[in-house]
Amino acid sequence: MADVIQLPSVFEQLKLVSGLRWRMLKNSLRRKNSRWDLIGMIWAGAVSALLVAGLCIAFYAGTYAFLSTDRAGWMSALFWGIFLWWQVFPIFVAGFGANFEFETLLRFPLSQPAFYLLSLGYGLVDFAAASSLCWIVSMLLGALAARPGIVPLLFLVSVVFVFLNVTFERLVGSWLEKILAKRKSRELFLGLFILSMVSLNFLNPALQHWGGGATPKIVRLWPHLWWLPASLAGNAVAGAAEANPRGALQGVAGLLVWLTVMSGLLWQRYAAQYAGEEVSESAAPGVATRKKQKRQVSAGHGPSFVPGPVLAVALKEFRYLTRNGMAFVTLLIPPIMVMFFTMQFGRGSIMKEHAIKPEMFFPAMLAYLMLILLAPAYNSFAFEGKGIQTYFMAPVNFRDVLLGKNLFLASLVIFELAVSFSLLIWRIGWPSPSMFVATMAAGTFAITGQFAIANWSSLSFPKKMEIGKMKGQRNSGMAVWTAFGVQIVLGGICAVILLVGKWTGNLWVPAMAFAGLTAAALGGYFASLDAMTHLAEEKKELLIETLCR
Amino acid sequence: MSEIAIATEKLTRTFGALTAVDNVDLRVQAGQFFGFLGPNGAGKSTTIRMLTGLLAPTSGRMALLGLDFQTHLVEVKRQIGVVPEGMGLFERLTGIEYLRFVGRMYGLDRPTTEKRAEELLEFMQLAGREKTLIADYSHGMQKKLALAAAVIHGPRILFLDEPFEGVDALAAGALKALLGRMTERGVTIFLTSHVLEIVERLCSHVAIIHKGRLVAQGSLEELRAGVPGDEGEKKTLEQIFLSIVGQSGAEQARLEELTWLT
Repeated sequence: MADVIQLPSVFEQLKLVSGLRWRMLKNSLRRKNSRWDLIGMIWAGAVSALLVAGLCIAFYAGTYAFLSTDRAGWMSALFWGIFLWWQVFPIFVAGFGANFEFETLLRFPLSQPAFYLLSLGYGLVDFAAASSLCWIVSMLLGALAARPGIVPLLFLVSVVFVFLNVTFERLVGSWLEKILAKRKSRELFLGLFILSMVSLNFLNPALQHWGGGATPKIVRLWPHLWWLPASLAGNAVAGAAEANPRGALQGVAGLLVWLTVMSGLLWQRYAAQYAGEEVSESAAPGVATRKKQKRQVSAGHGPSFVPGPVLAVALKEFRYLTRNGMAFVTLLIPPIMVMFFTMQFGRGSIMKEHAIKPEMFFPAMLAYLMLILLAPAYNSFAFEGKGIQTYFMAPVNFRDVLLGKNLFLASLVIFELAVSFSLLIWRIGWPSPSMFVATMAAGTFAITGQFAIANWSSLSFPKKMEIGKMKGQRNSGMAVWTAFGVQIVLGGICAVILLVGKWTGNLWVPAMAFAGLTAAALGGYFASLDAMTHLAEEKKELLIETLCR
Repeated sequence: MSEIAIATEKLTRTFGALTAVDNVDLRVQAGQFFGFLGPNGAGKSTTIRMLTGLLAPTSGRMALLGLDFQTHLVEVKRQIGVVPEGMGLFERLTGIEYLRFVGRMYGLDRPTTEKRAEELLEFMQLAGREKTLIADYSHGMQKKLALAAAVIHGPRILFLDEPFEGVDALAAGALKALLGRMTERGVTIFLTSHVLEIVERLCSHVAIIHKGRLVAQGSLEELRAGVPGDEGEKKTLEQIFLSIVGQSGAEQARLEELTWLT
């Protein structure tokens, strides 16, 4: 017979769960490398608070303006803004990875209603909900200043709207969680997210092309959205403001219908979870039947002059790239950006009077490529996880491991450069031969120079990252500053030498200067590899502890 | 006199004020199936990590197959195979890719790597799952793959940290047979496990570490002889272990305190 005399109340459980989350946050900051995380959190908190406060003023002013100038019909726009923010922001956050798994609470003796209410309470304390609540309060204050008479109805509408939003958000979140529990769908989601963010760059050119035609279509569509929650909330307020009780009643009734339906659906979802629905990764695959036929296997053939371990590491890096959706998407960014800039500023573009010439575009493109593609080199063991132990257990010097990694990354830069350069030629033409050679030489110098320092940074400031997650997936503070500093210095040297070439009117001079610098950088790079082997031995414990955590 | 496979001299490792391994002198003969035991936090994993090059000792010396660890690091690593704590797998590779990777890292040529990888996958009952990402393997499958990777280069010493944890009975039986055959061929196996029955059944020699210090070392018979008790009674390894680490009777005393549960 268990000794539990009385189950804690829902309020007590809510308090316990809040305390648990707070302690989890506090404990996560106790780790050695968490100082930068804390600074990052404070910074993000300050920026978010500014954003929310700024929009509070906007919602207050909007409500005041609409209600005091007989444009109450526009209140729907404010409710739509809140609705979209509340529903869309958590979807993006969900893809960022390890959140507290609410379902883990199910192992405690919670009743289903308590589980349901706890979930709703949880939904009210995330960032999207908290900021939306602030904006709704601002709307109430705006109404109080402009039309105090409609505040009771606006309050009622707001309460129903809040409950509807939190219910809807939990429902969407619950379905999303079911989908994102699978590794593959999580990675696909993340890739699509990054791609959609990159695609936003094309919004401006697209709007300039087709924007004129799109606006009237949206305006025509607007009245047909009356049955959706945000429009219903706006119409209810407008009804009250325009002394149309029927309209107000219809709006409130519509919202209540939505709330009832959504609550029913959410209750059903939670009933399934409460009953023990398994949403996580599929169980371990069973032993498959053996295929008797001899398999044609590819062992990853490579050039024979590359030592086996170096080639093995390079091949492993390639495999990891193909399984890292986000890194893979990163490869699409440079060509996309070349397309974007050539559309925006190239010949025949809408800004053709400011058209950029290939002479300028080519070095800028190479600099951008290096900025994007070489950043991971400063924390090149990030995704190794427990596999880092294999490097230390294997009978290889660490120079081979670093060579393999650098070789792969250099090949990647060359491939990306070839793709981007082809696009550049297609869109705006060739740079002059002297500029081409000078830029390529500058690139070789900058890449070689960076590899030596990036290897040191990877061994000295490792930070674990996980494929398929975005939350906390950034290099350590020192690695970021090192990369930043090195890129500024090397970029500065390259820019000055190229400008001197332009100024003297002879771009072959920088080409020769860079050739000399590249030779020196290559010598330094190969000399550094043995030192890195010793450094790896010194930093072995740090690397294993950090990456196997 | 057979070759000494593993020898340590005053091997010590400290973490700040904590001495995890304290002046350990180990002697393991080549071809022995050696069990390394100790309670949680006794220093077993720290010792294995030092012996396999994953952790540098604070002081003391280690020699494997007569080669000094400090001066012949790469040569030593070529002779050993390891299943470390946490298994050390690259989870975003498939099973076959990981074995190919390890084979090449240990200097095997491509055809040999390929042949051995296939045979090991077959033996470990992972054939048919070789193209599945390791991240999607069950714990037991990961353990079997880690074992396959540890032996692909034909090591002369094999370090196994809890090798049978999570492995099904069928595979465990095959593994035990494989390990037995390896010792017959002169391979030294250094194994840690909390399952004392397994150690008793497999190992000919045992060492016990407690609070960082080596408190017993020898054959099972030697250890039995050193434990007080009835003449003629064959003590189990569990009894020997509890007697040596001074815990016999302690559980009973602690149990008595849990009156609300018992």
